[in-house]
Amino acid sequence: MGMDGLFSIFPPEDFTLLCVILGLPLLGAFVNGVFGKRLGKEAVSLMALVAVGGSFMASCAAFFMLMQRQTETEAARFVWHGWKWLDISGNGDFQIPIEIAFSVDALSGGMALIVTGVGFLIHLYSTEYMAEDDGFHRFFAYLNLFIFSMLVLILGDNLPVLFIGWEGVGMCSYLLIGFWFTEEANAVAGKKAFVTNRIGDFGLLVAMALLVWHVGALDWQGIEAGANNLLTPIKIYPLGNGVPAWLPDFIRGPLTPEDPRGVRVTAATLVGFALFLGCAGKSAQLPLYVWLPDAMAGPTPVSALIHAATMVTAGVYLCCRMAAVFVLSPATMATIAIVGLATALLAASIAFAQNDIKKVLAYSTVSQLGYMFIGIGVGAFATGFFHVITHAFFKACLFLGAGSVIHAMHARIHDVDRSQDMRNMGGMRNFMPITHLTFLASCLAIAGLPLTSGFFSKDEILFKAYTSTIATPQVSDGEWIDRSTQVTWPAMQAWTPPEDLGRWIYTLALLGAVMTAFYMFRLYFRVFWGEFRGWTIVRGWVAPAGGHHGHDDHEHDSDEPLDGPKPHESALQITVPLVVLGVLAIFAGGLNAHAFFHSHLFDDWVAPVLATASSSVGEIEGAKEMMMPLLLPGIGAFAIGVGGAYWVYVMQRGEPAASFVEKVPWLHRIVYEKWRVDELYEETFIGAVDTLGDMAVWVDQYVVDAVVARVTSFAVAASGTILRTMQTGRVHAYGAVMVAGLGALGWFFIAPQAVVTVLADDDSGVYSVTASPGLGYQYRWDEDGDGELDSDDFGDKARVDVQLGRSEVRLVQVEVKNALGFRSIEQIGLFRPQRDGASDGLAGAAQEAKEAADSAAKSQKALQDIQRVLQQAGGNLPGAGKQPAPKPVGGAP
Amino acid sequence: MTGFSGGIIEALPYLFAFFVGAMIPRRQGWAERVGIGVVGVLAVAFVMGLWPEAADAEATQAVTRADEWPQLLNVIVFLPIVGAVAILFAPRQNPKLLRAMTMGILAADFLISLGLLRANMTTGWHFQYVTEWLPTFGIRYHVAIDGISLWMVLLSTVTTPIAALVSFGSIKKRTKDLCFAMLLLHGGMLGAFVSLDLFLFYVFWELMLIPMVILIGVWGGVEKIKAAYKFLLFTMAGSVLMLAAILYMVWAHRQAAGFVTFDYLAMSNLVLPRTAATLCFIAFAFAFVVKVPMWPLHTWLPDAHVQAPTGGSIILAAVLLKLGTYGYVRFCMGMLGGPAYDRAATLAGVAVGGGILYGALCAWKQTDVKRLVAYSSVAHMGFVMLGLFAATTSGIKGALLTMINHGIATGALFLLVGVIYDRRHTRLVSEFGGLAKVMPVYAAVFVIVTMASIGVPGTNGFVGEFMVIVGTFVSSALGRHGSIQAVLATFGVILAAVYMLSVVQKMFFGPITNKRNENLPDMNVRETLAVAPLVALIFVLGLFPSLVLDTMDSSVAHVIDKYNSGRDSHRGNTIDELRLLNPSPKGDDPTSYDHNYPVPPKSDDDESANAASRPLSTAVALGQGVSRGVAR
Repeated sequence: MGMDGLFSIFPPEDFTLLCVILGLPLLGAFVNGVFGKRLGKEAVSLMALVAVGGSFMASCAAFFMLMQRQTETEAARFVWHGWKWLDISGNGDFQIPIEIAFSVDALSGGMALIVTGVGFLIHLYSTEYMAEDDGFHRFFAYLNLFIFSMLVLILGDNLPVLFIGWEGVGMCSYLLIGFWFTEEANAVAGKKAFVTNRIGDFGLLVAMALLVWHVGALDWQGIEAGANNLLTPIKIYPLGNGVPAWLPDFIRGPLTPEDPRGVRVTAATLVGFALFLGCAGKSAQLPLYVWLPDAMAGPTPVSALIHAATMVTAGVYLCCRMAAVFVLSPATMATIAIVGLATALLAASIAFAQNDIKKVLAYSTVSQLGYMFIGIGVGAFATGFFHVITHAFFKACLFLGAGSVIHAMHARIHDVDRSQDMRNMGGMRNFMPITHLTFLASCLAIAGLPLTSGFFSKDEILFKAYTSTIATPQVSDGEWIDRSTQVTWPAMQAWTPPEDLGRWIYTLALLGAVMTAFYMFRLYFRVFWGEFRGWTIVRGWVAPAGGHHGHDDHEHDSDEPLDGPKPHESALQITVPLVVLGVLAIFAGGLNAHAFFHSHLFDDWVAPVLATASSSVGEIEGAKEMMMPLLLPGIGAFAIGVGGAYWVYVMQRGEPAASFVEKVPWLHRIVYEKWRVDELYEETFIGAVDTLGDMAVWVDQYVVDAVVARVTSFAVAASGTILRTMQTGRVHAYGAVMVAGLGALGWFFIAPQAVVTVLADDDSGVYSVTASPGLGYQYRWDEDGDGELDSDDFGDKARVDVQLGRSEVRLVQVEVKNALGFRSIEQIGLFRPQRDGASDGLAGAAQEAKEAADSAAKSQKALQDIQRVLQQAGGNLPGAGKQPAPKPVGGAP
Repeated sequence: MTGFSGGIIEALPYLFAFFVGAMIPRRQGWAERVGIGVVGVLAVAFVMGLWPEAADAEATQAVTRADEWPQLLNVIVFLPIVGAVAILFAPRQNPKLLRAMTMGILAADFLISLGLLRANMTTGWHFQYVTEWLPTFGIRYHVAIDGISLWMVLLSTVTTPIAALVSFGSIKKRTKDLCFAMLLLHGGMLGAFVSLDLFLFYVFWELMLIPMVILIGVWGGVEKIKAAYKFLLFTMAGSVLMLAAILYMVWAHRQAAGFVTFDYLAMSNLVLPRTAATLCFIAFAFAFVVKVPMWPLHTWLPDAHVQAPTGGSIILAAVLLKLGTYGYVRFCMGMLGGPAYDRAATLAGVAVGGGILYGALCAWKQTDVKRLVAYSSVAHMGFVMLGLFAATTSGIKGALLTMINHGIATGALFLLVGVIYDRRHTRLVSEFGGLAKVMPVYAAVFVIVTMASIGVPGTNGFVGEFMVIVGTFVSSALGRHGSIQAVLATFGVILAAVYMLSVVQKMFFGPITNKRNENLPDMNVRETLAVAPLVALIFVLGLFPSLVLDTMDSSVAHVIDKYNSGRDSHRGNTIDELRLLNPSPKGDDPTSYDHNYPVPPKSDDDESANAASRPLSTAVALGQGVSRGVAR
């Protein structure tokens, strides 16, 4: 079937081939997970391999179809729209539909190939590596599920769908790190990985919310199209209502920013930082890298697939995907580069002192991921991503080779820690030739031997770090005049990095390259050269009765000497993936060999996808000519690192290292203990949250519950006790209370009650005031509000009608006399609102704005009038002081 | 294509789902196979039946409002209540019969309630049924559903049979009382969700209280009486305030419109004086917030959960708490939008600080796993309330979805805790460890439900929380606090992973340290069947949430509309007047949310009837001391 046939089956706008790519691993996961135990190991392997293999073939087809369609300038993009997932509210509550949709373009197509291809090799490897394990079906179910999640992450067409895969791979990683869950440490490592990743996911969620708010889209095309909206300034300090006014001035002063607009950054910077937090979590960058070394508790194929080749590079993938957003914020870009550099150096330094073969590789991975982020941070997205690909080859090969060695060590050493300790290895090149050669190839690649893949990817990053520049974006902000102070504040400018930042990054990254070459060859020489130190090799050795394989059957004391057979090379399922990956590790660099061959295949391939971002990235003058001068130090770094390792570990048999440890034991110890970063976190962040938790529980029990439940019940009980004392049963007491009550009732009848009701009609301005009737009541009034009662004699007139003009205020008084001659005075403040129909709440209507303003002023005046009148009244009228404060209410807003 | 072969093709997905479901159990035995097969069929039917194209096609064909059987809600609500009475006449000595009767009634109720899904949830009330009940007091029997209460009803009819199924496995004493209480509780909850008359609502609201107290107090743990009292007193305190507010509003409505009615439609059309509105809001909100529960009124919840039997906990978590949040949407936002708006930012702060963060921290530190799940409820309900306070479309929809999700995930968690409690009679985390080795299926289900509970995307938990977070971020009701509150709420997502994964690790992973755990049997058929629908729903709602969300469109728009008009009239009501928001509601338009708006009773005295029907705008007629035109 030709390409046209493929296109007629899978049209670009309804690219159902993506369903095949995604569906097969999911099917594999379901079948193996649910039915695996009943199917048997062969069927499980078959299912898993077919699922990933089929997915790989489909990815290849998709890739070729992309090649067919992609031109130099225009990116090909095939989409499959599944169904509407949900709607979310954007700014102003308009609805943004989020689809379950997948798309493939140059970037994701390439990544999908790596994931399914390397994934297939590692699946194949695992069928042998895990063959003895009871949880065989469970392992392959998780592994298939991981491939599915990873593909969702890569192929998702919008951020929320990517997030499904993003957390999905995290969950699979959690399950696989804790695969041997009967060991407490593995389960703890799994949890640590998940929670640390969640801190990153927090960033991603916040980034999504920010994007919804400012861009109004979460799909790739929408984000790219609306990215420029992110150049608006956002106040990040002070938050909410501002610095609290009740603070004393000496605290308030320093807390209040000079600029009344507050401290502001662009939305792009906020989004960039939030996104990068997510990437730092997933891709193990400072400060969230701590989970990755612990994640090596999982089976070795898992370390190769998830924690080296694919999942941990998801952060780099996301950065490339969102490149158009990142380049809008030079501050974010510089931060990414610096964090990447710091991570690269820190992890490399830790790798110097580790003895566990997988730990060294783990820190090496963290370090290499740092290099990828240096590439991203300096704007070399394609180069950073190319390092993802070459790293996938050589690091997967290294991990699988390490697994092969560990597998061989398991012939006699079953303890997990000791079987991975390179102090127990040595001379392996004699026993395991294929493993040795492939491992060497990958070591050369990661150390940067010229013409290997690692050389072309890493040195290109260094070159770009020196030569790239990020254009300063124009913030959409104008100057602002503070009306209260008449100070003019300038428009916001985007932050620009210092000019020599690139040179510093280049220099320090070069130092990292030396370190990389040294620790990788330290590992290589100690494992494959020298004498075998695991056990005494005995010809024709036979396993003693009892368990051979198995993880917890017999533990050895480390000082008890062992004997055993020659370590043996692994089976075909293990060596074939090693050879394939080893070859790729050497030769894959040809895809993007800028240095000697001027080949830009890979750069050209992804260029259309990254076009928007690339337009903001420039280079310093004369960059082209610097290629060779900048390359030579890189080659030197390789030579120094490898040569140093050879001198220390082969020529001097590790003597210099040992004497160094003796001279400065504290330095070695602190490096060996990973700079005690875990302990630092334990004491600070985790400790703080822990204390907060304890406080919350204490408060819940002794404050909240005590106040809400116990105090209330005490109050009820106490009032019951008090009331009970009154129920004495003595008739005298009851009689006394009754008499007191009768007396009170009598007083009520004797005292005159000057109570009025007012019937108001704002429209006509007639307010009729009616005094309540009573036994023998007579009244006299002060209708005109002059403060003097109108007549000296009392009459029967119980009601007066007062006519008020608009906004007029009047204080009417009435004095009541009852049959016994007791008197009482009541005052009634009347006020007519300015407008009719004020009650309809139309005060805000535009055409009435002026009227409303007048009315406001008038009612303000009216309020003062009332207060004045009442004050006068209070001066010469008894009882006026008892009146409640006047509360005029009018139609004004 | 002939009808028959077409039918076969249409039936294929169902057959396939049944087959796959039936293959899943590893044990032999037809009951489990058929049960899980049926769950698979129902899941497929749910997705296919509500799929947009299918729903559209059906809408044009058959289902219009006229086809909705008006008695359907009556049947759904009163079937359990009548059943409860019928249980009283069944022999106490025959627990099997009692259980079969109860399960039968609950299953029938569930199946009947599926009929509600056939309606196309267009604007306006559905399955509305109105009749005079106590005309002297203007009390009507008025039930109806919209896109919001529809899902609450379905949540109840799904989870109550599950709770009953679980209860029958672990509770062997006083079966008759148990069945009676379960059925009555079910009826009460359903009634409260569909009532559109405040009096009727209040009756149902109180009706369900007593069976729940009995459930805790009779079949509970060691301190059951204390817990039952605490639950009763907290809830009653809220209810009484609500009753006072209802009575005031009825009186105020009579002042404004001239006739007495308890109807929700009339009440939501009322503009109260500012102070009165605020006080009414506080009274209503207090009643609901206690039920939700929100900090600091949450302390009854851990006690009630720990003491309640498994079935009681499931109903309490899955449905009863939802009455609080449902009440807030329906009554606080629907009737008293103004004060609700005024206090939204403050209350949202409480929901974030006191619910999401504080609840999560408390949950983390618990040693009793059931108490832990109870505190996690406080955190989840914090998300729900936050979404409601945000009052954006996705905030409210997300909150409603989180209500459903919480019912499913937390209900399942309580069920699973009950499973281990039945085996070990302890819930202390420290008693367990390494359970995954002896109970692999149990561990797998627990991990799946945990993932739903901490909101891993792909499961239902994520969708609701994500919508709430974004809805809060862009909320105008919360003003400049919205974004801060959204970010803090997102912190809760991290904490959720911390506390749930800690407990999973301590209970299931590591070596088996306690000898008594070495031979625990895995989940039995009854437990598997009970949890299977919940697990299916976790994925169905996680992947196809818009099947649910789209049916809420018009109802949520209506709530926001009510909320906004309440806000505007409250803001404009600077002179404390009492009036009707909309003087001429469209009571005869079935597509309006004012359909069957109460009309003043026909009176012999025409003049007084006319006078009564005229809205009085002056404050004097109300006897207001401080009112328009009067300054005292």
